[in-house]
Amino acid sequence: MKLRRLLYLSGAFFLVLVKFTIDVIGKNVELEMGGVSLVRELVVIAAFGLLYFVVDAAASRRESPPVKKLGFILIVMVIVLLAGVILLLLGVAGFDSKNLSLVPLDYPTIFLGSLIALAFGIVAMIVFRLLRDLILISRRPAGRRNYYILTGLVLAAALSTIMLRPLDAAVIPGILFGLALVFAVVNSFRLPWIIYLTKREKVFSLVYGFFLFCGFIIIDVMLAGDSLVNRVLLYYSHPLREFVMLVAIFATLYAGMAFVSTLFHLPTAEAFDRKRSEVSSLHTLSKLVTQVFDFNELVDTVTSMTLQVVEASRCWLEIIHVSGDGAPGPLPDGALSYRVQVAGMKSITQEEIDLLVSPEGPGLREAVMKERKTIVVDDLGKDSRFPELRKHAGLAGSMVVVPLISHAGLSGILYAAKKDTYGFVKDDVDVIAAFADQATVAIENSRLIRESIERERLYREMLVAQEMQKKLLPQFLPDVPSLEIDAISTPAFEVGGDYYDFMDFGDGRLGIVVGDVSGKGVSAAFYMSEMKGIFQALGRLFVSPKELLARANEALASSIDKHSFVSLLYAIIDVRSGTLTIARAGHCPLLHVSGEQAAYVRPGGLGMGLSRGAKFDGTIEEETILLKPDDVCILYTDGVTEARKGDDEFGYERLMATARAARMNSASAIKTAILETVKTFTEHRANDDDLTIVVLKWRGPAARGERTH
Amino acid sequence: MSDFKIAHREQSTVNVLELKGYLDAHTAPKLEEAFQNLLKSQRFKIVVNCKDLSYISSAGLGVFMAFIEDVRNNKGDIKLTNMTPKVYNVFDLLGFPLLYEIFKEEQEAVTRFFEKSI
Repeated sequence: MKLRRLLYLSGAFFLVLVKFTIDVIGKNVELEMGGVSLVRELVVIAAFGLLYFVVDAAASRRESPPVKKLGFILIVMVIVLLAGVILLLLGVAGFDSKNLSLVPLDYPTIFLGSLIALAFGIVAMIVFRLLRDLILISRRPAGRRNYYILTGLVLAAALSTIMLRPLDAAVIPGILFGLALVFAVVNSFRLPWIIYLTKREKVFSLVYGFFLFCGFIIIDVMLAGDSLVNRVLLYYSHPLREFVMLVAIFATLYAGMAFVSTLFHLPTAEAFDRKRSEVSSLHTLSKLVTQVFDFNELVDTVTSMTLQVVEASRCWLEIIHVSGDGAPGPLPDGALSYRVQVAGMKSITQEEIDLLVSPEGPGLREAVMKERKTIVVDDLGKDSRFPELRKHAGLAGSMVVVPLISHAGLSGILYAAKKDTYGFVKDDVDVIAAFADQATVAIENSRLIRESIERERLYREMLVAQEMQKKLLPQFLPDVPSLEIDAISTPAFEVGGDYYDFMDFGDGRLGIVVGDVSGKGVSAAFYMSEMKGIFQALGRLFVSPKELLARANEALASSIDKHSFVSLLYAIIDVRSGTLTIARAGHCPLLHVSGEQAAYVRPGGLGMGLSRGAKFDGTIEEETILLKPDDVCILYTDGVTEARKGDDEFGYERLMATARAARMNSASAIKTAILETVKTFTEHRANDDDLTIVVLKWRGPAARGERTH
Repeated sequence: MSDFKIAHREQSTVNVLELKGYLDAHTAPKLEEAFQNLLKSQRFKIVVNCKDLSYISSAGLGVFMAFIEDVRNNKGDIKLTNMTPKVYNVFDLLGFPLLYEIFKEEQEAVTRFFEKSI
């Protein structure tokens, strides 16, 4: 890139040298042939073509604000102006006009004239290029089109003079020149950049515009009259002179328009600045709202922006905490208990805030909490609504108080104060309200984030509880000769109140317990783990199921709360005699399938925790059944029988039918069959109650000694 | 979830609660509230008519257990009537008939209160 520019530059330099040589020779030798003058012009055009690439590349390289461009134009203009003046002061011999052509009178005229012409040409290109940037800031197609037409006309007007002698005039170039002027006027109205300037920039723009206008007027006069500068340019290249002339006129018009337009925009500059800072601070805030985890930073931003944008002298934000738990939450309508936290104080102390918000009479805070609307106090010293505030008029002349209202209630209050009375215009109030809205969203967000973190923590705790509870259930099935066992328990939620366990007495007897704590979830899970403790502690001590239930009830009743209870079925199978003895405490009856026969075994008994002492003990009955080979016993919880599909329950009939149909299979297959049938029945919805199944399959005394697992 | 409704009637000094729909962990608080209101206004003679009660879970049963002690300590009672066989089975399984008086008809239960008070 750099190399290419260097190449262009040296090419242009070479061409300029060629041109200079031709001119020097032309002074001595008569070269008035068409061919030579065409070559001269083409050399100049080629040189400027190459220079334009360099100028364009330099201009495109960096984006600068419009006023800076204006300033740059001013600088280059002053340079050529000075160059022109210097030329006039040097007193070169000038030209002799002969037959509409110009003949330089001495070599310094040729040499200095070439330099001046080059300077004017290059500056005109730079100016034209920079004006292009200014005009094309607006992307409106009409504006672009007009600009391109102007460019085309300027080039056409310049090039049309290519074979014209310096002092000659022709119709077509004249028409093109006129058209170019028309479009120069049209384009000089393209000042889209002015309104976006800050007030300071507008002042600069005004000054620049003025000097540019004056400077270019001088250049215009120089070029239009029979001045030496004009002659130098005309002699050097007629097209170049036309180009410079058009650009100078265009720049004059543009600078003039810029000056006038800026002048008109100056009175509104302040308001425009305000609006702009409002928009940009709201933008900053709304970005902050989505990013910020640091609540204090956000509150600080809200108050400092309020201070800045509406030029308030004091500002602070109060956050309302419902109850005293420290978590900021919106205050629902009618809630009475709340705490106020003052945050983001700007140019005010806690003592001063106390004086302003809660004087001995009706205060601002109470008023805004009650009305839930913005309150504007124009004159603190005279306001009839807050008589008690009058004596604090020294703290603030006027105030605006805005409630932060989210969908759930009042989450805070934003206060702004000015020293002057009637300090807040409607615009100020609107801006403060907009800031308050952002603060509301931020407070709400930070609360939601906190809540979701808490929820996540609880969820993890529940997963831990779930793992813990799984460990409370048997990790291995007991290995008892002649007996196949399989079991499953699935809670409805993360944790549940179903329980099953085994107690191997080691002498051919195995205790099996299935229990169900009333209710579901965490409370049930706690009782479930208590059941495990009780059963493990008492199981070995009492070999009679009835006795065990009586003692377990005693242990449980002292700790269980009065609307909870536990239903339990305890069975002891004795593989030596092939008998199963069961006792039931309010639990679902045991299902016994024996050949084609199937029956529910249901000895009497109260649920545990419903009553205590002798009354409970008296209700518990014990029943013993004699097992035949391939008999199946199923213990379960009501999650099986009460599995629902709409209003229909799975029920005892279906359970019995399923067990009967599957009785010839292994214990494991029977368990699976029941589970699958229940799932099919409920159409695979998640079970809405804890569900437990324990299947025992008696292989009979013949199978004694075999290891079934 | 399923609906649960309670209608409250007074038959002389006896308060009749008519339950309708599903009584489970979600709807149990409604029944608790109804009992609390009765106890707060010193009304301890309570008959619960289960004619339209289509389902009761263990949490629902727990509600009766929570209040029976208070009610009986105040010389009142909770009596249950008009259960469908399915609902009765749930009560029966836990042994509730051993703890509560259960009647086929509401009137029997109401009459029973007066028998006692005589």
